[in-house]
Amino acid sequence: MNTYAAAARAFPSLLKTGLAEMVSYRVELVIWALTATMPLLMMFIWDRVAATGPVGGYDQNAFAGYFAGTLIVRQLTTAWVVWDLNEQIRTGSISPALLKPLGPLWLSAAENLAAVPFRMLVLVPIITCICLWRPELALGLAWADVPAAAAALALGWMVYFFIQVCFGALCFYTEQSGGIYMGFYGLFTLFSGYLFPLDLMPAGILSVVQWLPFRAIIQTPVSIITGQLHGAAVLAPMAHQLAWAVICAALARWSWRHGIRRYEAYGA
Amino acid sequence: MKRLRQILRAVRAQMRAAWMTAMQYRLSFLGEGIVSLLWTGFTVVPLIVAYDYREGIEGWSFNECLIVVGVFIALQGILEGFIHPNLGSVVQLVRRGTLDYVLLKPLDAQLMVSVARSTPLKLPHIGVGLALAGVMAARLPDPPGPAQAGVALLLLLCATAILYSIYVFIVSTSFWFVRVDNLSFLLISVLDTGRFPVVFYTGAVRVFLTFILPVGMMTTYPALALRGLLSPRGALTALAVAAAFLLASRLVWRTAIRRYSSASS
Repeated sequence: MNTYAAAARAFPSLLKTGLAEMVSYRVELVIWALTATMPLLMMFIWDRVAATGPVGGYDQNAFAGYFAGTLIVRQLTTAWVVWDLNEQIRTGSISPALLKPLGPLWLSAAENLAAVPFRMLVLVPIITCICLWRPELALGLAWADVPAAAAALALGWMVYFFIQVCFGALCFYTEQSGGIYMGFYGLFTLFSGYLFPLDLMPAGILSVVQWLPFRAIIQTPVSIITGQLHGAAVLAPMAHQLAWAVICAALARWSWRHGIRRYEAYGA
Repeated sequence: MKRLRQILRAVRAQMRAAWMTAMQYRLSFLGEGIVSLLWTGFTVVPLIVAYDYREGIEGWSFNECLIVVGVFIALQGILEGFIHPNLGSVVQLVRRGTLDYVLLKPLDAQLMVSVARSTPLKLPHIGVGLALAGVMAARLPDPPGPAQAGVALLLLLCATAILYSIYVFIVSTSFWFVRVDNLSFLLISVLDTGRFPVVFYTGAVRVFLTFILPVGMMTTYPALALRGLLSPRGALTALAVAAAFLLASRLVWRTAIRRYSSASS
């Protein structure tokens, strides 16, 4: 427990470091944020599909709202620790970071958080354009659901971050895990609600997919911030999020510790 | 004529070096092939879901839409195997000042940086894309003949020329701003719009994809040619646009290179 107290004490400074880092790479960060535009493309195709009538309960406004929400959630629950670890472990630059009293994962988490304001900045013009395009879009978050939305975003980010740590820790064994991670990422785009609302999938597939961790990262926060789910209805999907956050955190912790021990055994 | 032969010989030598490097890791081809199939699947699944609800979208049936996907995947392979590894390295050459060595050589610098690092590793990806487009075209009620297939391939070449030129524009900015590596990722994600027929987009986005960054021309036109729906005028326009882009890229490169003041001197 001692490390967590230390982490809590150090976190404000870590956040400041992370913020400075993000400020110095602001242009690159904005460009990175702009590359996450896949939901925009999907919005156009689903808009055409719904032009002749609603599809599975979604009309054009519902789709516009859903994908605007997806863009927002994607920017806020994203993480890139797997790429940091791939780079640091392969080049050995992780060694000095490991000597510090707090592990490098804390700084990665702080950087993710520090990037949020910049990522929001990218969102503003895009979301404004979508709102001008479909003024009636379904994007209505009630004040009462704001805490739930914030918690869902935080849980979604945790699931994504810890899964990435697991893949990153794989590098301790294989030296490169970017390729395997991209396989996971492909499944993520299909089964998280990133490219289409999951309820549009055939029921048989959906009944399997809803048990997987993917929807915790995108679909659950999206359905809350668009007002699709509210009140007590948010509890079940959030319990799913919480369960996966705990599982992934435990898995990340275990693989990280094992990996570190192995890394030391290299003597690198 | 002698000059041309000299250039061709140099290009061939560079290509051979790149191929021999890649051939040392033959198993990677298999890996790349599997990954390409996987990514093709990831690209197609959202369309399967969408076409589950509609027979056709904006005049494109599922099969016809997959022709566009195939062309898109092939173009993606060309970008990642033959354009990005070459031109992407210019950014680093400028930053480190090692562009000096390229400029000192007797051959044209743009030509040198455009071919030196091609990698055949992405050939399976291009193959998967062409196969998908070909199979889907053959299953059309009115399958294309050799003439239409030839036009489609020619249009794919035009698309490659346009993509190459846009990449030259991006890379040329590195003479001013030095750090632009991830602008190329932005280009890759703009190219992503090409995975659907351009008529799926509306309003300003379609205007942008038609006239400013002609992604629509790059992937939709070859598919239209295979469907037998592209007018000769459309094909000629594509040729003209590709020629204009190439010419512009040459001018931009010449202007940019004049800005270059080596890092070492």
